[in-house]
Amino acid sequence: MAKMIERRLLGYRLHLLIRLRDKKQFWDSYLPIRLAAIAERRDRRIAAIGLRTEAGLRSAAVAAGIDTPVAALERDARLKRLDERFAWKAKALVQSRRRALAKHPDDAGVAASFDRKDADLASRKETRRAAILLGNRPEGAGSAAAKEAYETRLKVAQDVSRIESERLAADAERVLARIHAEHQKKTSAIGARIARLEAGVASLKDASAAAELLPEGVHLRLKNLSMRFGGLLAVDNLSFDVRQGEIFGLIGPNGAGKTTIFNCITRFYRPTSGTMWYRRNAVETIRLNDFPVHDIVRQGIVRTFQNVELVWELSILDNLLVGAHTVYRSGFFHQLFHTRKLRREEEVMRARAMGVLATLGLAPYAFAYPYGLPYGILKKVEVARTLMAAPKLIILDEPAAGLNDKETEELAVLIRKIRDDYHATIFLVEHDMGLVMDVCDTVCAISFGKMLAIGTPAQIQANALVRQAYLGEES
Amino acid sequence: MTLLSYRAAAAVKRLKAVAKHPYFGFVLFGLVLIAFRLLSLGGLIPNSLMKPLVLTMIYAIVALGFSLLLGYGGLASLGTAGFVGLGSYVIGHFSGTLGYPFLATLAISLVGAVVLGAIVGFISLRIEGMYLAIITLGLSEILKEVFKSFNAFTNGVNGLGFRNFALFGLPVSDFAVDLIVIVVFILLIVGTLNIIKSPTGRALLAMKNSDSAAQSMGIGLMKYRLLAFVLATIYAVIGGMLYMADQKFSIPTTWTLDFSLNILAAVVVGGAQSITGILLGTFMIFGLNMTVLNNIPFFLAYPDATWILNGVLIILVTMFYPGGLIRLLLTVKFRLVKAVNILKKKWRRYRYGEDD
Repeated sequence: MAKMIERRLLGYRLHLLIRLRDKKQFWDSYLPIRLAAIAERRDRRIAAIGLRTEAGLRSAAVAAGIDTPVAALERDARLKRLDERFAWKAKALVQSRRRALAKHPDDAGVAASFDRKDADLASRKETRRAAILLGNRPEGAGSAAAKEAYETRLKVAQDVSRIESERLAADAERVLARIHAEHQKKTSAIGARIARLEAGVASLKDASAAAELLPEGVHLRLKNLSMRFGGLLAVDNLSFDVRQGEIFGLIGPNGAGKTTIFNCITRFYRPTSGTMWYRRNAVETIRLNDFPVHDIVRQGIVRTFQNVELVWELSILDNLLVGAHTVYRSGFFHQLFHTRKLRREEEVMRARAMGVLATLGLAPYAFAYPYGLPYGILKKVEVARTLMAAPKLIILDEPAAGLNDKETEELAVLIRKIRDDYHATIFLVEHDMGLVMDVCDTVCAISFGKMLAIGTPAQIQANALVRQAYLGEES
Repeated sequence: MTLLSYRAAAAVKRLKAVAKHPYFGFVLFGLVLIAFRLLSLGGLIPNSLMKPLVLTMIYAIVALGFSLLLGYGGLASLGTAGFVGLGSYVIGHFSGTLGYPFLATLAISLVGAVVLGAIVGFISLRIEGMYLAIITLGLSEILKEVFKSFNAFTNGVNGLGFRNFALFGLPVSDFAVDLIVIVVFILLIVGTLNIIKSPTGRALLAMKNSDSAAQSMGIGLMKYRLLAFVLATIYAVIGGMLYMADQKFSIPTTWTLDFSLNILAAVVVGGAQSITGILLGTFMIFGLNMTVLNNIPFFLAYPDATWILNGVLIILVTMFYPGGLIRLLLTVKFRLVKAVNILKKKWRRYRYGEDD
């Protein structure tokens, strides 16, 4: 009894620990986004001050016959526009000359009139050009008095703009420092709580009964699992272990019960008998049988589906956000009014989703809709979506189905990368033997719900029972 | 001068940023509606146009709630009429007959909506698709019979009248009712937009696409089905209250299957996932014959012909644009842009020679 209470207490503390870590991670990932936004606003405002100063000086500069840099830029742009416009006009003239000549091939007057029009066009262009180059300079521009007046105004304006920019920069600096301090305060408080909890958990760890249930290093244990559909025994008294951090492959001929096992683990099916033990974290072991389907992801188990199950009305990025559903902490009230909390959270999640998409090489598709995208991309998006929920155990249901050879090779690289980068255990069902033998550390072969063999890929390949199940009696 | 032009350019830039905000169009729409109402005070817009517009807005509120259910949750319901009727009787009985303060009436109706929505939501966990529609239809019919025979509450088949009610001690005029309708309408549009663009909206869509995928991502069916039904019921009850405040009369024969089917048609014809589409659809189903067709001599002579025209429009839209009127609009826009581009290209070829 005391032991049970102790375990409950430990479980509660671990739950709190996970939530606190989530919170800390949230603030940590929000900090750079916020800082970047403030720095960007500062830069924009300072640039605006520069432009405004320049605009205020423009008339004085014109009177003094002096080019300010922006005025020069604007003039260049106007000249360029002028050139383009007249190029089009010249082209049109050539075209109408050709048309007129085709109509009256031997009328000398036509050609002459077009020559006149050409000359006219050229002279008009020159006049415009000269006007632009002159600007709207009044008579006697560039006198010494005007220049002097410009100089004084420039000096004042520069001082004002410098002071204003410095003030803005200082303001931004202060805000940045404040945000840093706030963040420090917030995260250090959270960090202190985390440290306290971790210490408490560590002292309880030895006392916990976790070790009794699952030996060290085992992530998932299926014990005497059976699943009966009416008269059909789809899974027959099956037991195996999936070890922490490995890539575990489940193979078997069609109808062997592979997907049934997946559905049992993710609680879509209720197994007829047997237990599934799962190591949730260092000390806590849970019985998956006790959890409803939609709680499985909160334990760190995420699955993909044999057929792509994306939300077709949402962009790829939003699909990833659906995958992060359990990570959101904003309640309905925050969602209804789009409060700061939700907007902040959305920003962080978006940044996180973009990060995941970038690691998987899907960044160009972030804002595309799933309709019409290649199947290989959609499969990858499904894998990306699982990563949004910070999974410990990823269950892939035939990830290579429908992919071509090149895509399958990419997938193998991807699976290894996910295992290494996200420290997740990967459990997959696959028909593509090439992929299984390539990526898996352990392979388990089943047939008609019964275990045939378990071992390294090489052992499985050499196993007579497996060969028989796949190739028939003779071989 | 140059400084002024700089300032003007900066202001335009800021305005453009505001105009890009998703609320902007709807808020502008609301302001235009208020302007319409003010103009109709001066008699510039006839009341025969303004009254149907206000009624259409009330129906659009109901349709918005229904779209959360059908377009996002993928749950079909034919019980809308009962819930709208309930809202109208709640305000009619408690605010009108008994003279309760408005906030008390609002609280009663919201509690009623949550309870009713939760009941239907629970049913929807077990029963799906067509069967759910039939069950909700049955529920709505039960409510209708209750309206007919529960005389103390609804005044039975004679219908319940409604005096002008007081809001926070102030009597509410017809003009104020219309303003309230417009404001509530815009607020609910913004609220719907917020829900759609948040984890809840995405969860509802995920649930609609695939129950099992949604569950494997931690979306509890019970929570979100209940939520969808409760939201739809709240919208319907609010619509019913506004209906009573606007029409000042509610009779059980209004709250029949016809009404539910019309709401369903409005959502489907407009485009179940777009707010603009739903507004269009509601206008087509409810507003069109009241505002436009009733002013055409032919339809004045044969009033039932409006329903035929409506039916033909529904058939045409659903046959050729299953995505709804909004899809039609988008297609038209796309085609127009394409045609303009082609014309431009032709003109350039004619004017400037073979290359563009």
